[in-house]
Amino acid sequence: MFKKTSLAAGVAAFAAFLFAGGSSIAAADEVDFTAMSAEELAEYIILESGGFHLDAAVQEGGTMRARMEQDDMQRACSVVGGGKPDAATLEAVRTAAAASITYPEGGIKLGDWQKGRELSWSGFGFRVGHRTDEHSGNRQPGGNCANCHQKVGDRDGGTLGPDLTGYGKARGTSDAMLKYVYDVIYNAHAYFPCTQMPRMGAQGVLTHAQIADIMAWLLDPESPVNQ
Amino acid sequence: MFRKALLALPVALALGATANAQKAPEDVLQGLIDSIDSSYLTQSEMNLMMMPDSPALWLIDDGKDLFHEARGPNNVSLETCDFGKGPGVLEGAFVEFPRFFEDTGRVMDFESRLVHCMKTIQGFTDDDPAIRTKHGNAADITKLQTYVASLSNGHAWNPPMDHPMEQAMRDAGEVIFYRRAGTMDFSCSTCHAATGKRIRASVLPNSNVPEEWTKAVSWPAFRVGHDNVRSAQHRVGECYWQMRHAEPVWGGTGMTAIISYWNDRARGQPAILPDMKR
Ligand code: HEC
Ligand code: HEC
Repeated sequence: MFKKTSLAAGVAAFAAFLFAGGSSIAAADEVDFTAMSAEELAEYIILESGGFHLDAAVQEGGTMRARMEQDDMQRACSVVGGGKPDAATLEAVRTAAAASITYPEGGIKLGDWQKGRELSWSGFGFRVGHRTDEHSGNRQPGGNCANCHQKVGDRDGGTLGPDLTGYGKARGTSDAMLKYVYDVIYNAHAYFPCTQMPRMGAQGVLTHAQIADIMAWLLDPESPVNQ
Repeated sequence: MFRKALLALPVALALGATANAQKAPEDVLQGLIDSIDSSYLTQSEMNLMMMPDSPALWLIDDGKDLFHEARGPNNVSLETCDFGKGPGVLEGAFVEFPRFFEDTGRVMDFESRLVHCMKTIQGFTDDDPAIRTKHGNAADITKLQTYVASLSNGHAWNPPMDHPMEQAMRDAGEVIFYRRAGTMDFSCSTCHAATGKRIRASVLPNSNVPEEWTKAVSWPAFRVGHDNVRSAQHRVGECYWQMRHAEPVWGGTGMTAIISYWNDRARGQPAILPDMKR
């Protein structure tokens, strides 16, 4: 259900009209920017005007164009000026997020907190441009957790998300708790629709095993997070 | 001490006569710090201390020489370049970008306009190092940009919105600023729409607080971590890279739209030119 749709119809029609003449690169200057709505012009600038390097290869295969096209969640949760969409939209986002989650065979278990410590710290992966991250056996994408969460351990973390110091100590490791934390890491929109937290599982940033390791970092009584 | 004395003279000369412009960049910043409580503005005590000796100040003089020197295949200076306020008018020109130009029929950010003049007036081409080299203190574009920008230090940001194209680019830039996409679902607003938030140790500027945002958009700036002066386009590129989005084309429509919006968000607040960033 949550699939990518193409450009806003008006812009698509507009572009088709423009490019129909055979001049493959109709200069951006020839398009009347003032005849479009701000939303149409934004889509045009990003996807049609040559304003971005959309042909660059990306780590997951394919090109940047696919990353720059919004999926349904991204479109629904982009509110100009800030804030959240209406309740019905939020509910649709939440339901779709819950449906996106897949679980490891054999159920959710805690992995290795030491690996989780590094994974939650690492901001490596998926960057493309002047320096492009080469994903390889010993250099896999990280979870970026410390960018937004303070004291996921002993190093300086960000404050875009809540402080996770002592997270497991206060919550324990019941099955319900394991599922909740797994879901939040996999696709936090299942609990917090239109959250700023990236969909680490649903977007293919982290594997089931890596999520298990990061969960151990948060929940394992042995982990420094809970000391 | 000695270095500081040497620097003071060219800067004082370059900054010209208007009351605000006589302030040094660090004085403009101090004025902002005194006006609001902002952990972004005050996050680097070290930078505040170093600003009077900023290596960016040296580039002002180099840029001034370059600007007035006869150069390029046509062997003429840039003195006839029109930055929007008439040929040769540099004072306060930088804070009135991006701007629509009749002669090109499009909205241009400052750097694009500078390159346009180097090509059309001086006859440089894309292959000439003067235009090809875009990065670092040694690049002509960095020096020229720092010089012209310094003549707007302390001036209030005032990008024109009279032409419908200027308004259209600004409005599209706003939509782009809030538009989530990519591997991490980021938009600019993920990191720049709240006060006092941090990514790791870096305090993030809030685009909704003009007194904060003016520092954020005050480029060129000496980037301490890069040991070089960088332009607005570098910062846009760097944030897009962090976002895992596509790289914006240098001088392209994406850059221009974003910069149109971000300068507009600082409207009315004094620019810090050149600034020093972490
Ligand atoms: C871009 C910032 C960002 C990143 C990166 C991020 N998070 Fe979050 N996280 C948030 C925000 C914001 C919330 C709060 C949810 C909300 O209300 O939107 C949150 C919520 C959470 C919660 C729920 C807290 C509670 O109250 O129960 C957990 C657990 C969590 N994050 C773990 C992680 C882990 C583990 C990672 C790395 C894999 C991570 N986060 C990466 C922003 C982020
Ligand atoms: C994931 C978080 C993140 C996103 C998303 C992001 N930025 Fe940034 N941005 C940063 C960080 C970190 C800095 C450096 C701030 C510092 O050093 O205090 C920064 C710096 C800036 C600055 C200069 C402020 C300074 O002091 O260096 C501007 C202007 C800016 N960003 C604009 C944007 C724009 C425009 C976008 C969208 C195209 C964007 N950012 C997206 C994290 C982000």
